[in-house]
Amino acid sequence: MFHTVKRIIRWSGAYKRRLYWGFVLSFFASWMTAAPVMLAARALGDVLEAHWSGTALPAGLVWTTTAGIAVCILARFACTYGKNVLQESIGHEVGSAQRIRLGDVLKRVSLGYFSRNSVGDILAAATTELSTLELQSMKMIDAVVCSYIQLLAILLCLAFLSPVTALIGLMGAALSSLALYGISSRSRRTAPVSHRAVEDMSGAAIEYVRGLPIVKSFGQEGASAESFRRASRSLRDIRIRIEKGFVPCNCLHQLALKAASMGIVLVCVRQVAQGAISIPVFLMFILFSFSLFNSVENVNDASHVLGVVDSAMDKLEGLENAEFIDRDGGDIPLDAFDISFRDVSFGYDSRTVLHDVSFTLPEGTTTAIVGPSGSGKSTLCSLIARFYDVDGGAIRIGGHDVREFTCDSLLGHISMVFQNVYLFRESIRNNIAFGKPGATQEEIVAAARAARCHDFITALPEGYDTLVGEGGSSLSGGEKQRISIARAILKDAPIVLLDEATASIDPENEHLIQEAITRLTGTADRGPGKTIVIIAHRLATIEHADQILVIDGGTVAQQGTHGELLGQEGTYREYIRLREEAEGWRIA
Amino acid sequence: MVAMKEKKRSWLGILLSFATPCRGKMVLSVLCAVINMAGGFAPFYAVYRILQLFIGRVADLQSALPWVAVGMAGYLVKILFYGISTVLAHISAYTILEGLRLKIAGRLMQAPLGEVMGRRIGALKTVIMDKVEDVEPPLAHMIPELSSNLLLPAAIFIWMVTIDPRMGLSLLIAPAIALIPMAVLMKSYSSQYAAYMEANSHVNSVIVEYIEGIEVVKAFNQSSSSYEKFAGAVSSFKDFTLAWFRSTWATMNLTFAIMPTTLLGTLPVGLLLCRSGAITPAELALCLILSLSIVTPLMKATGFINEMKSMEYAVDAADELLSLPLLPDAGKPALIRGTGIVLKNVSFSYSGGSGDAVLHNVSLEMKQGAFTALVGPSGGGKSTIARLIARFWDVTGGEITIGGVNIKDIPLSRLAGLVSFVTQDNFLFNTTLRENIRLGNPGATDEEVYAAARAACCDAFIERLELGYDTPAGDAGKRLSGGEKQRIAIARAILKDAPIVILDEATAFTDPQNEAQIQKSLGALSRGKTLLVIAHRLSTIRGADQIVLLRQGRIVDVGRQEELLERCPLYADMWSAHIGAKSWAAGSREKEVPAYVSHR
Repeated sequence: MFHTVKRIIRWSGAYKRRLYWGFVLSFFASWMTAAPVMLAARALGDVLEAHWSGTALPAGLVWTTTAGIAVCILARFACTYGKNVLQESIGHEVGSAQRIRLGDVLKRVSLGYFSRNSVGDILAAATTELSTLELQSMKMIDAVVCSYIQLLAILLCLAFLSPVTALIGLMGAALSSLALYGISSRSRRTAPVSHRAVEDMSGAAIEYVRGLPIVKSFGQEGASAESFRRASRSLRDIRIRIEKGFVPCNCLHQLALKAASMGIVLVCVRQVAQGAISIPVFLMFILFSFSLFNSVENVNDASHVLGVVDSAMDKLEGLENAEFIDRDGGDIPLDAFDISFRDVSFGYDSRTVLHDVSFTLPEGTTTAIVGPSGSGKSTLCSLIARFYDVDGGAIRIGGHDVREFTCDSLLGHISMVFQNVYLFRESIRNNIAFGKPGATQEEIVAAARAARCHDFITALPEGYDTLVGEGGSSLSGGEKQRISIARAILKDAPIVLLDEATASIDPENEHLIQEAITRLTGTADRGPGKTIVIIAHRLATIEHADQILVIDGGTVAQQGTHGELLGQEGTYREYIRLREEAEGWRIA
Repeated sequence: MVAMKEKKRSWLGILLSFATPCRGKMVLSVLCAVINMAGGFAPFYAVYRILQLFIGRVADLQSALPWVAVGMAGYLVKILFYGISTVLAHISAYTILEGLRLKIAGRLMQAPLGEVMGRRIGALKTVIMDKVEDVEPPLAHMIPELSSNLLLPAAIFIWMVTIDPRMGLSLLIAPAIALIPMAVLMKSYSSQYAAYMEANSHVNSVIVEYIEGIEVVKAFNQSSSSYEKFAGAVSSFKDFTLAWFRSTWATMNLTFAIMPTTLLGTLPVGLLLCRSGAITPAELALCLILSLSIVTPLMKATGFINEMKSMEYAVDAADELLSLPLLPDAGKPALIRGTGIVLKNVSFSYSGGSGDAVLHNVSLEMKQGAFTALVGPSGGGKSTIARLIARFWDVTGGEITIGGVNIKDIPLSRLAGLVSFVTQDNFLFNTTLRENIRLGNPGATDEEVYAAARAACCDAFIERLELGYDTPAGDAGKRLSGGEKQRIAIARAILKDAPIVILDEATAFTDPQNEAQIQKSLGALSRGKTLLVIAHRLSTIRGADQIVLLRQGRIVDVGRQEELLERCPLYADMWSAHIGAKSWAAGSREKEVPAYVSHR
């Protein structure tokens, strides 16, 4: 628990001073909380004196105590208000800075990071976990640290009057903190168990929803409902078991404090009977015995939350420590754009995808990469863009190893069109302008025209300001693809990496897309050609390339022009035969 | 105000309706909470008796000791029953969560499929998992603690009233004053909280977008600072939150400074009453102790107001799914003659209104055993027609019949048996490949499963796997290509052997080997069936018995390929674009684009 508190204090970094000043105010606020009780004890003492001596109670007493309490309330208000001003904003300031930093980290890690770590976990860390930290960290610091400050502040007062009593209070608090330690160490132990149960349940929920259309169309509702039911039952049982485990510690925590309360009463009774303390002091102790531990009593809830905060911090730390792929990179201007692979080997985790691949793509040429799915075609493009690092060999652009660049510097030379089009939920304009921040309206329209999307965009009621729906769903697949090409055209980089879409698209769209690609690759109206790499599926694309690389089994199986390769025995000829067959396929 | 109360009742009602299986435990939990509270009284009474001894000047250690023991015993009872009550409350709470999840799942199953699939899977998961989970802490603590934290102050108030009514009223002074800043605080709380939740979900959706689109961000965002929209959303969320919190500091701290200082009322009033002789000094001492004792429960009860709000939000999100419309199921079996499909004046809109219809008065006949193709520009309504036949939604107007019976009168299970719907979605369940195929017909023997797999060209690659048909789909999923997964889905449909097959043209440009095999397996699936194909590549369907050309939700023309080429200019355009696209290439010059392609 205190370990987490220390961690939060470290986390608050530059705001640490404000945190400490907050603690000071909290200390004074505690006194202001205790003061009315002392006033009451004092007044009660006066009442008893008057009672025993048979004299009347002075009238002024009522008003002075009332005024005293009112002053305490105001002072307490001032202290807690000040504490809020100093502390409460810290969580949000630090949290939002961390969010932005995370965004930057994620941009600079290898894409392998996203397959090694579930995207769901990364998302959860950046959203839910960080929110927990923002909202709870300062509250919990307040709950724990300030509770103990309050207890110590009051015990300090009491110690002057009766050291033994203060000691008993201290012992109660110590015993309870032992129980609290039990809670937090147990919660650290059970966190992974409950995390796994939640994962299983999430998996079951996703499978259930994903499988709905299938089980419904096969009339198999029962089967999939059963596994969902099992997962939610086991989540329930695990949660209940974990909760039950906390109960003894919780009870012990309370018992320690309550026993200390009664212990204080007992000691005071003894002391006052012996005449060691006066009646008013005795009264004060009795009154305090009930409220002394009020704040510490709630620390058990806080220690639960701190467990959650702690694991949130673990995950965030894990994210922040992810290794930047370009930490040693520099900003390198290029004047040549040929691409060469020399003995490149690469694998995702244990699965090797490319073995000793070597080839050269001369500047200004179009290269088509063909091969069966899973042969490593897309991997080649990802390696050129350095989404991953090669395991062996080197990739050079214009003579420079891609590892010499920063990500931003390298990708500044490259335009990419991905197979899976991703558009942001923003206006179409911003989606295109993403290719060139700060582009003018004229440039955006020119790119849209070139990508053959200007016409359908202007036909939309809101034109370029139309918001792209959830994942770009309000537009057809072909339209989205053309917008993604416009984005790449606007960027106008000397190297173009293009992953030809494999999804079915209606014929008119298909034609327009191909016109758009022609404009992107820029051989139509520009002087020096771009260096183009296309992962190709359509015959026509393949036939017209300057060079064809046939990738099979992680190596370059064949290399040459369409004519040359057709003349050879091998994969390519078979590939073309099947492709022709497929494109001419008909049902029935 | 009345409306708000009703709303509150309804969400609490929803929750409690899931508590049926553990009603006994919940009642017991509350009962234990009450005992826990009663136990908490004993120490106060014990201390009161001790004070009496001292005030009467008859005190010594021996006479006080029994009362100390009573106090301690009271605490023991309190803690013991607190433990029991907490356990029972947590069992109840988690049972309620389970019930809520199952109910949502059931509703998703019964709702029109189209309704469900129109939502993002992630969003559905969030409700089922996270939103439902949000209900737990307040629920588990609210059941016992709120009841006891409200009962204790009430009981203490009554106790003090019996001592002297004026004393009782004085207890209310501090809370009453605190209500003033609290009312100011709460006035805008609901709307602010709603705005906060919205801002929060906005910033989260921007983060989700950023991570989902990380390739694009990497490839296009060359500045060293982070993606602008991301940074903007993050800092404006921070500003919003801080502004809200700042605006609450004054009222909140004032509330929390006054509320617990119950002595503000009880001390002066007690002194006055004591001075006039209305209460004894011992009673005054008791009242002061009692007024201190309600501070903790009072503050806790106040804290619950906050949590109730978040609980309300969570339940509302769940309730949104729970109130999805149901797809009405026909009660009695219908007599279906044949598998011919007829659409009669079918209209459809997602909202049910007529303004935004996606299909207008579509009439169409598909004879039993015939091959019908749907073609046309995207957004024309091709997929909608296919989905209406499978009853993803119900038509807004007109009717669809199969074998002469309106599909609304065919029991859903029977309809499911009649129609196989094959799409590009090739989802496999987390079980063995064998069971994934057998899903098509749970009664099938292994031999029948293998036969279907052979017909779908799956047997070769399945047998290459170490565990063969027993390979779990989860492990296999990483090693199977999209085309292979799709063939397993097709094998499933072959095994089902439904008389009507709907294909949302599933032939994407995968690698040619795969594609050839998919095509072969689709041939096996559709042989002799009433076949409806949504076609993207026109060459695929040139042999159809009838080609239906759809545009903007209306049928433009129906006929065979040659007929349409002859009389329908739109189809002729599409055909030539299709042929043109096949002979185009990246790197080719624009003037080389065939002249017969229309530029628009």
